Amino acid sequence: MDIKWRNWLKKGWRAAALAPILLLGGCAHNPYWIFDPKGIMAKTNLFYMIVDVVIMGAIVGLTALLVVWFMWRYQKGKNRGKYDPHWSHSNTIEVFVWGIPIIAVGFLSYFAVKGTFEINPYNPTVITHHMKPNGDPVEVDVIATDWQWLFVYPQYHMAVANELVLPVHTPVFFRLTSSAVTTTFFIPQLVGMIDVMPGMRTKNALLSNHAGEYQGIASDFAGAGTSWMTFKTKMVDKADFSQWVQKVQQAPGTMTYASFNRFAQPYINVNHHVVYFSSVEQGLFDHVMTEVMRGKTWPLPPMMTENMVDYMKKQAAEHRD
Amino acid sequence: MLVDLPGGWSPLLGRLAWSQIPYANPILAPLFVAVVIGAIIVLGLITYYGKWTYLWKEWLTTVDHKKLGVMYIIIGLVMLFRGFIDGLMIRTQQVWAVGPHSSGVFGSLHGYLTPFHFGQVYSAHGLIMILLAATPLLVGFMNIIVPIQIGARDMAYPYLNALGLWITAAAAALIMISLFVGDFAHNGWFEYAPIFEMQYSPGVGVDYWIWTLQLVALGTTLGGINILATIIKMRAPGMSWGKLPIFVWASLSANVIALTSFPALQVALGLVAADRYLGAHFFTAGMGGNLMLYTNLFWIWGHPEVYFVILPAFGMMSEIFPTFSEKPLFGYITMVLASMAIAGVSWLVWLHHFFTMGAGPYVNTAFSVATMLVGIPTGVKVFNWAFTMYRGRLTFNAAMLWAIGALFLLLIGGMTGMMLAIPAINYMVHNSVFVVAHFHSMLLVIVYAIFGSVLYWFPKVFGFKLDEFWAKTMFWLFSAGTALVFVPMYMLGFMGMTRRLEYVFNTGWQPYLDVMEFGIVVYTLSVLAFFILLYVSVRDHAKNRVGADAWGTSRSLEWMTHSPVPFYNFAVLPHINERDEVAWRRQHGIDNVRPEHYEDIHMPNNTGVAIILGGLTFVLGFALTWRIWWLCIVSLLAIIVLMIVRSFRGDPGYIITGAELQRMEEEAYRREAQIADSHHSHPVSGGVVGNAMAYQRNDSSK
Repeated sequence: MDIKWRNWLKKGWRAAALAPILLLGGCAHNPYWIFDPKGIMAKTNLFYMIVDVVIMGAIVGLTALLVVWFMWRYQKGKNRGKYDPHWSHSNTIEVFVWGIPIIAVGFLSYFAVKGTFEINPYNPTVITHHMKPNGDPVEVDVIATDWQWLFVYPQYHMAVANELVLPVHTPVFFRLTSSAVTTTFFIPQLVGMIDVMPGMRTKNALLSNHAGEYQGIASDFAGAGTSWMTFKTKMVDKADFSQWVQKVQQAPGTMTYASFNRFAQPYINVNHHVVYFSSVEQGLFDHVMTEVMRGKTWPLPPMMTENMVDYMKKQAAEHRD
Repeated sequence: MLVDLPGGWSPLLGRLAWSQIPYANPILAPLFVAVVIGAIIVLGLITYYGKWTYLWKEWLTTVDHKKLGVMYIIIGLVMLFRGFIDGLMIRTQQVWAVGPHSSGVFGSLHGYLTPFHFGQVYSAHGLIMILLAATPLLVGFMNIIVPIQIGARDMAYPYLNALGLWITAAAAALIMISLFVGDFAHNGWFEYAPIFEMQYSPGVGVDYWIWTLQLVALGTTLGGINILATIIKMRAPGMSWGKLPIFVWASLSANVIALTSFPALQVALGLVAADRYLGAHFFTAGMGGNLMLYTNLFWIWGHPEVYFVILPAFGMMSEIFPTFSEKPLFGYITMVLASMAIAGVSWLVWLHHFFTMGAGPYVNTAFSVATMLVGIPTGVKVFNWAFTMYRGRLTFNAAMLWAIGALFLLLIGGMTGMMLAIPAINYMVHNSVFVVAHFHSMLLVIVYAIFGSVLYWFPKVFGFKLDEFWAKTMFWLFSAGTALVFVPMYMLGFMGMTRRLEYVFNTGWQPYLDVMEFGIVVYTLSVLAFFILLYVSVRDHAKNRVGADAWGTSRSLEWMTHSPVPFYNFAVLPHINERDEVAWRRQHGIDNVRPEHYEDIHMPNNTGVAIILGGLTFVLGFALTWRIWWLCIVSLLAIIVLMIVRSFRGDPGYIITGAELQRMEEEAYRREAQIADSHHSHPVSGGVVGNAMAYQRNDSSK
């Protein structure tokens, strides 16, 4: 892809996107997460958005202007344009009427196909085609429960609940499943959405060169606790990442399938608890998936959050807070 | 019992118990009292004025397609109001519950709705707006307009038509009663697998959802069959396919979709019911179930359904633009082809509702390109409307303003739709409020077209025009509300805000939510303006009476008969000479002719069976929801027996004699003659004027 073109478009878009921000009082940093990508996946998404908006915006904008002009010119009683009570067909116009949308759709289809392969969650070529042969990607097994995230780092035999810490300049490959219901894994500034489903395994990947803290969201409705099922994603230097790994590996908690069974009970993470697990049972991800496929569920009590205040008291009384 | 039911069950009342009545709920309990008081007042007034017989004879048992259509529209407007209140509640919760320091009341940590209640509100909002507001409103318009536009006296199956209405009414009643008895589904209007399974939704909410949707699907399928049969078999003499009014084409394409897609929904819902009632495992995560199968099945119906509601709206716009541009629709054949193309492609795009499922790039690109193909015929339609205005003589009255508003919303919705069609963009905004803003843009196209049509066809149905000032006031308030709610929503989408948040975790989004709340207040004002519009128009109706051609520039056949349309539509069926028959007659000076001689005509009888069957389906739905098995059996048996009895009796119909017809017609002409700007008609013999045929030639020997 032509990098220059890409950059040029991006600059133009940034400038356009800045206008409403200035109007709204000029925040310190860009609140438009989608226009402010910090990872190669999100950046690629933005590129295709710009292409689409430029092409469609041109057509839609001109059409809108055309309609407004017709409205002005042919208003009854103003006698600006000629009235022709019978005119209702023109082959020339028909050619344009069909031709413009067909050409636009053809053009966009090319980008749609190209983009889908570039950020295919199972094999994103924007990452895999530029990976160093000796690169050491980080693997993360993501298990969504009702309503927490468990991030297992199989390479380090450890796990973290509700917080994701990753090194910069390193490809990260996710495997994702869920213990209870379907939700979606989404870090707006780093990587697009991928569904997380019980008894199934999806994949995703990201690569970021910008250290910082980014918001992760459970973006599909998964029940009462969805709104609090968020997680911070920290992109850190490789050295800081090693330190962090050591810190987690000294944590008191461990995660076996038995403890996962308790962990996966419905829990609304109102206080954004982050828990470290220094060791994880080998193959926990596959174990959970297999159990779910065999029919294991973690049922919800009826009317669970009919009164949220009461429920939080109950959750605290069970010493789960 | 094949499944474990949390909570009790008794043979007499099923799962129903006192604890299921939310009498302690601070929102629902006062509402319930208000509803009961309101109902007592309404029923009391009907009794006081002795209108029960009138109501039963003229409305509840009618098979007249116009009255049924009006009742469809009333149901649609009532449900639109209910859905709007839900929207208001959603916006208020989200503007309130921002950040960890926001306050909470009524048992919620933040805001005033707990997740359990918030989920019900937005699920009901979605389901009601699409299936119990937009759908009945559009079906109502098709019911009223299609037979008149094709020169028919009624639908092909008048009794079936009434049955469709009362089943739809039963569905509306079922979702309304879920407010006060039990709870509604709280997982979104389209539900998800496996969250709708018993383990994750143990209440009756999902069961209410299943049976409400089943009833809507049944009612709409019956309506679809009827409209298709009517268009194919009941056209007036001379009305070849090439002369069919464009709204009829739109209705035809829409109902082809309805007839073929709603059964898919019914199957999907049947399987959900099997999971929840029989302990099957179609959509569970384990035991061999496949949860994405549900999502596929649902959207195989769900996406065609989107076009089922947008195509009639396009048809409405295609009627309004030419009338107020005073020239024919540009590219009639193109428009028909575009409608059919949309109907066809609607079947090939369902997967774009879940690109994020993790399907491979080949699957995703196939559905991405198919989705973009929809943009071609839709783009053609927009251009055709634009060129209908070109070289026209435009009158910007309220109906035209709504149509133009719909056109601009379609441009915005189309543009954002083309963004969502590309997976590489979709991954970023799927499940975000950007998608919510997109489909609201599209559904508002429908709402705009509907309000335009209410203004446009109201004089045809009721004989007087609605007040222009209040109609325009409502339009501008509504449009301001639309801009204030949905522009910030698009912006929030680009900021990464996701859908269905009961609690908004990012305080940075507060200002935008504030603007949206202000927007919904403006919307509320437009609702008020609508009520004032109705009041003022009814008050001044004597001043605003219209003749047959209410706008003076009308084009299609419905404007040939009297306003309001007599129950037999046309005393003598017209002969169709041209595509825009009324415009053609006006141009050739034969717009003010009337038949010299009247023949006897045959009309269908009223029937009380339809409303009773509707009532029984409601009871069946309620009994199934609460698992009151004896009541299920009784109501189902009653339905079957009643249908068999009715099918043996049939309806011989009745005859209006020529003399009686002549008396009614003369009275109508007399009434019209009193209206200032109407023409005086003169009788023609043999139905022939010059070398044109005005009326059906009656060669048949009596």
